[in-house]
Amino acid sequence: MPSVIYHPAYRNYSFGEQHSFSPLRVDIMLDLLESLGHRVETIEPEPATRQDILGVHSDYYVRRVETLSAGGDVPDCADYGLGTPDNPIFPGMDEAARWLVGGALHGARLIWEKGEKRVLQLGGGLHHALRNIASGFCIYNDLAIAINWLTGHGLWVAYIDIDVHHGDGVQQILYDDKRVMTISFHESGQYLFPGTGEIHELGSGAGRGLKLNVPLEPFTEGESYLEVFDQVVPAALRQFRPGVLVVQAGADAHFADPLADLMLATRDYEAIFRRILGWADEFTAGRVLFTLGGGYSFSAAARVWALLYLLIHDLPLPTDLPEVWRSRWSRIFDGQPPAALHDPNPGHAEIPNREEIAHRNRQVAKRLLEAASHYWF
Amino acid sequence: MLVRDIMSSPAVSIPPAMTLEDAYRMMQQKGIRHLPVLDEGRLVGVITDRDLRLATSTFVRSPLSLQGRVSEVMCGEPMTAEAGDPVEDVAFRMRERKIGCLPVMDDGQLIGIVTGVDLLDALLRMTGVNKPSGRLEVRLPDHPGELARLTSFLSHRNLNVHSILTYPEGRDSTRTVLRIGSIETRALANDLRRADFEVLWPPEKPCPR
Ligand SMILES: [Zn+2]
Repeated sequence: MPSVIYHPAYRNYSFGEQHSFSPLRVDIMLDLLESLGHRVETIEPEPATRQDILGVHSDYYVRRVETLSAGGDVPDCADYGLGTPDNPIFPGMDEAARWLVGGALHGARLIWEKGEKRVLQLGGGLHHALRNIASGFCIYNDLAIAINWLTGHGLWVAYIDIDVHHGDGVQQILYDDKRVMTISFHESGQYLFPGTGEIHELGSGAGRGLKLNVPLEPFTEGESYLEVFDQVVPAALRQFRPGVLVVQAGADAHFADPLADLMLATRDYEAIFRRILGWADEFTAGRVLFTLGGGYSFSAAARVWALLYLLIHDLPLPTDLPEVWRSRWSRIFDGQPPAALHDPNPGHAEIPNREEIAHRNRQVAKRLLEAASHYWF
Repeated sequence: MLVRDIMSSPAVSIPPAMTLEDAYRMMQQKGIRHLPVLDEGRLVGVITDRDLRLATSTFVRSPLSLQGRVSEVMCGEPMTAEAGDPVEDVAFRMRERKIGCLPVMDDGQLIGIVTGVDLLDALLRMTGVNKPSGRLEVRLPDHPGELARLTSFLSHRNLNVHSILTYPEGRDSTRTVLRIGSIETRALANDLRRADFEVLWPPEKPCPR
């Protein structure tokens, strides 16, 4: 049985009502599953301890988060990315962030200690948090902390990041770690925050050749995405032979996402998730830990993550979505609430230079593999 | 940004009587390519790894032995910079004279060195590209007040602007490149378009049907 980790305290990780990174996204997703008749059984984690956080973040950074969290004043907080428009200060932010880290850690423990295969953490995926800097809605790097826990127990980790933004924090924190391969698929940093994730960022020291980046052209559609996904991931996993997959399953590469420019549809997400589950069976004896991540179109993110939930449970996918769910959230969605789980086809206007985009992505994946495999053999 | 903000200081220096072999070894050890030459505290020259290689190469008519002296090969009376010089002036001078480094002087004393690589680092810092950020590019008509219109638009939003660079594009327009320390640059691009700015980058996303 797959395990789903969630705690109502996750809802406290909220930067305010107007902020994009809204806990409502998970509420809407859970409500969708319940409205479809699924009883979502969740396991409640403990929040991570201060000591857990210090495995990745420095003491002076954590102290600043704690002070702000308790309503104190930190004059230089902006130097640490705190109190900025992306990462506003809110009361209890330290504890709220530790809850999300605790969930990811709990997922890691379930896999190592209980022999669980498929684990879904219903939150987190805070891949931008750097050692000493909050960035892109991320305060503590739950992923890096959970990955370190796994490698500390002898499981080598392949981290797959399908969020539309580069997984810069995870990559940077684990840049020289030979026990961790990171693979990030994202819209090219030339166009999108955080600006990094080029193919020449291959890792350093013992980790050289194990940090892989596939920067994609704006307006990349599912067909091209899946082509490079298939080009890169199995080859990398075959080489690295990880003990477990950790997946940041951001939903912001969807065409309706307001923060970025990739054009994936829900059917593409279904294909991506099916592939990842297949690769987990093939390479890691089925062991895979999913977290959520970005995803700023409520209606798209809720459907993408409901899909993920259904697929890891091997449940049938519904066609139509319940009216009760649609009407409950209609005020929140921009535009008509979706009538079906999958997007209409086509879901968006035609992309004029589709062929050129696919060609460039293909070349990027090819050059990446050439450069990385230099360190593999 | 001034030279003192980007120079390497203190500079590694050598005496003119040092052998070419020792000078080369020094460069290898420190991982540098340029050495100011000091004679009793006075700057008398600069020597580069290229000077050393060429002086000892069989390409030249009478190559020096490795026991030759630095004073025989160095470029004397080198051009220098002051710690308070603006970075762009120094870049301009180095480009004009096609040289790779300038010793930095203060009151006749060598206090540092600035190289082409330091200028590249300065470019990275000036553009803010070394911090998590998103890039925006706006085309402005080349009229007085246009840049002010853009900056005042930005100042009304709570934004972390890492850098604004402006350069001319043809006769009638300028391009302004902004690096914003935010993941929310798409919303900003849309608002700029709504306020009649021509946003070139990021491109506009085709609307969902
Ligand atoms: Zn994202």
